[in-house]
Amino acid sequence: MSKRDPLKMVSLLAIGMVWLVIAGMPFYFMAMTGFKGQFELFSGRSVFAFPEDPSFQNYEEVLTSGSFFTYVRNSLAIVGVSVVLILLFGSMAAYIFARFRFRLNRPLFILIIAGLVIPVHVTLIPVYLFTREIGLYDSLWALLGPYVAFNLPLTIFILTDFMRLIPREIQEAAYIDGSGPIRFFFRMALPLSTPGLATMAVYNSVILWNEFVFAFVLITSPDNRPLPLAIWEYQGQYAMNIPAIMSVLTLSALPLILIYIVGQERVLKGMMAGALK
Amino acid sequence: MRKLLILALILVMVVGTGSLASARQTKQITFWHIQVTGTGPELIQQAVDRYMADNPDVEVEVVPMQNDPYKTRIRTAMGAGDAPCVFMSWGGGPLYEYVQSEQVLDLTPYMMEDDYYTRFLPASLSNVTFDEKIWGVPVENTAVAVIFYNKQIFEDYGLEVPATWDELLEVAQTLIDNGIAPFSLANKTKWTSSMYYMYLVDRLGGPEVFASAANRTGGSFEDPVFVQAGEMVQQLVEMGGFNEGFNGLDYDTGQGRMLMYANQAAMELMGSWEASNFLAENEEFFNDSLGVFPFPAVEGGAGDPSNVVGTVGDNYYHIAPTCEYPDEAFQMLQYLIDDESVALRVEAGRIPPVVGVADMIEDPMLSQIMDIVENAASVQLWYDQYLPPELGEVHKDVMQALFGLEITPEQAAAQHEEAVAEYFGK
Amino acid sequence: MNSVAHVRETGQFGRWRLLPRLNADTLTIFLFLLPTLVLIGIFVIWPIVNSFQLSFYKWNGIAPTREFIEFDNWSRLLRDDIFVKAFRNNLVVVSLSIAIQMPIGMGLAVLLDQGGRFFLFRLFKTIYFFPMLMSSVAIGILFKYIYDPSFGLINPALEAVGLDSWTRAWLGNTDTSLYAVIAVICWQYTPFYMVLFLAALTSVPEELRDASLIDGAGEGRYYWHIALPLVSGTVRTAIILSLIGSLKYFDLIWVMTEGGPSNSSELMATYMYKKAFPSFEVGYGSTVASALFIIVMGLAVFMLLFTRRFETEV
Repeated sequence: MSKRDPLKMVSLLAIGMVWLVIAGMPFYFMAMTGFKGQFELFSGRSVFAFPEDPSFQNYEEVLTSGSFFTYVRNSLAIVGVSVVLILLFGSMAAYIFARFRFRLNRPLFILIIAGLVIPVHVTLIPVYLFTREIGLYDSLWALLGPYVAFNLPLTIFILTDFMRLIPREIQEAAYIDGSGPIRFFFRMALPLSTPGLATMAVYNSVILWNEFVFAFVLITSPDNRPLPLAIWEYQGQYAMNIPAIMSVLTLSALPLILIYIVGQERVLKGMMAGALK
Repeated sequence: MRKLLILALILVMVVGTGSLASARQTKQITFWHIQVTGTGPELIQQAVDRYMADNPDVEVEVVPMQNDPYKTRIRTAMGAGDAPCVFMSWGGGPLYEYVQSEQVLDLTPYMMEDDYYTRFLPASLSNVTFDEKIWGVPVENTAVAVIFYNKQIFEDYGLEVPATWDELLEVAQTLIDNGIAPFSLANKTKWTSSMYYMYLVDRLGGPEVFASAANRTGGSFEDPVFVQAGEMVQQLVEMGGFNEGFNGLDYDTGQGRMLMYANQAAMELMGSWEASNFLAENEEFFNDSLGVFPFPAVEGGAGDPSNVVGTVGDNYYHIAPTCEYPDEAFQMLQYLIDDESVALRVEAGRIPPVVGVADMIEDPMLSQIMDIVENAASVQLWYDQYLPPELGEVHKDVMQALFGLEITPEQAAAQHEEAVAEYFGK
Repeated sequence: MNSVAHVRETGQFGRWRLLPRLNADTLTIFLFLLPTLVLIGIFVIWPIVNSFQLSFYKWNGIAPTREFIEFDNWSRLLRDDIFVKAFRNNLVVVSLSIAIQMPIGMGLAVLLDQGGRFFLFRLFKTIYFFPMLMSSVAIGILFKYIYDPSFGLINPALEAVGLDSWTRAWLGNTDTSLYAVIAVICWQYTPFYMVLFLAALTSVPEELRDASLIDGAGEGRYYWHIALPLVSGTVRTAIILSLIGSLKYFDLIWVMTEGGPSNSSELMATYMYKKAFPSFEVGYGSTVASALFIIVMGLAVFMLLFTRRFETEV
């Protein structure tokens, strides 16, 4: 890039700072309030002020009161298993759509992609009725079906693009060597789509880590709650203790933010998946 | 030696599997409640722990939940056919809906055994008695709406506790002139504002006006009493009687009480359970500043000014018909309201709905509340609990709009009437 | 399903039969599509059908019996002022989301593009993206407190910059609650579009920029006349994404206002939830859900046709 005009640089920085305040201030408020005492907010001091007597007590209580890590574990379990299944089923379907020609290819593909625009709320009541009928209601695994099903369309959409890029010659060579279609999938198609798989893994993990609606409707027992639902319940437990709630929010946001800072480019690419053409 | 080792191993395995098997044999009872604030969770847990200590073969899983989400949760679970063994309700219309949908076990035989029911204040059982059967056990509290106030603020401005509505308006005006919100209200929750309206209706027309309108026994929500109550509410709103932005604040997360603690509001009309919240959250404030008085009389009103709005019992506990161990569940409920639990509840600032509780109360504020209840000519159950759930939601929406000055008192009355008439088909 | 599968890839073409020869390919197609089709069938397609069914019943969700009432729910929906309001609010959310997020997102992308590799701008980029990483629930709770008229952040902030007259109870006021929520939605999602646009801008060939700058065009002219047309495809994608996303909003609104006060921030999704769950009207709730489905599908098809025509014209 060419020469830098210092005046322009300063004005750019100024604008950048303004948005930095807008984007960052809520985080500052959240993290810092977590260090405050319960009644400090009512004392008339500015909400921006630094804590009078900063203490880790709120954070400590949240972390040691036992349940926080249960929720994190629940979230990790359900998100982990869901993402693996989404990638597996998604890449299988994408492989078919990308590499096989048959009558129903196009119609089925469109049918599945149409799932992208369906608001989950439309399906809430029947999914809830169905879940209780099969006896999975109020278990962590009740979330598995909806989580996988609702994230398959985008995953298939993106992965189909990746699978189409595999040169035809490679496939023909493999077939001549005697690989069947299934073997070709596991040996060649899947490894060749690694960038796509990684992208979708990131994207689906972020989305599911923060998922709320299905968890809200399908889970009741505290032991089975994933993190976003638990955050919501903490509100009641810590009613009137804003600093404690803020420390819960900070702690729940921290894992993703840390991962993001470490692997920024990967995460950004993943999050953009929804918009890739 | 080696044989011995193997034998020991086998022994360990046998004992191990044996204890596993016995663990599986314990009777599981799930218990949902909403006592999440203050000392609520401990009060329940201590009774459950004592019960389990006495009955080692029973294991009770206690699940505390937040108030508003609970309403959705319990319904969802019932629909799912796996309602918890023991659950709570507020009695009234929603409970009746559960009863009609065959989701509640008839507790009459248990309550009649050794005249157990005589332990409770008669008023407490009326909210859970339908079709001449008793469907629930009253446990938690006697909750009537009273006005909590900050004694120090009243002192600072030379204010007296108002005995009439006009005096209340004068007090409010003085507070407003000094930059203090007279009432703190967190009305995203909607039922919080309903208390003002219910009291005014009762003061103006007595309990019959609402009963005859809600039961469709000749009354109507377009009765002038409802309109007048709406006008009085809006007068209070218009003069600045409430904190700013009350319709966006959440009672469940304490956004109303915060204003009291911060001395930004001087009064709060709330169920008497609020006393124990104040005590648990801010003991200093409770001891030094908090006072209580009954809702004032309205001059010229037909209602008895001793009447209260609220519930004797507050949270009722029920057993689901799907519960495998109803006998054990009922026994556990009895621990929740045995003498020891009653004493602990009183200590924690509550008034359990049992006979003779008045004598046990030492705390001056609680005995004052108890006096108000005992002298009440009638107790009006919260409208949103008295009405069927669908209408309860309508009522709450109307309240929020009325307090937000978005509809006129006449429109509020008409919306009530329309919904109730449609629901009952007359 | 495989009965209609017609496999050409391996040269095993042939006449149509009721049951094609069971070869490796047909089997693969069947096996590999099965999990996806089953899951989508159960959790996406069947629920939609089921919602439509339930919309013809009056049912409280827990009673053993339900009552068939034909089109009563649907005619009630058409007369339901709150549903109409929720629909209108949805349109406001959609149009404001696009009108606010796109320009700001593009502005920030240009800013970061200009800033280049300078470390402060990289820091900006990192922090700007934070809102996208928080769950909507957490954001909703956080902003509930930020908007609190007595103890929150917004009003003191406004006072600090001299806008005292602007202070108000943002969430408690029927005139402002919807906009207060939209502001948070924009706060959360603008970074997404920012990064999207930034990626598009960075992919514009360097030579194009240099050439236009040598021609004497300023930076402003470069973005307006050269870069923007080149990334218009991305912008269109972004608009479609924003449109579909806006119709689905639930979490944030539910946590912050529950659609209130007095339905002023009600959206179709929150209204459906309220009817089906707290008010025990599963039948009517399903009707609202079905209507939501029809509207979203209609809009999606419309957008698709519109953008396709747009593409062929340009």
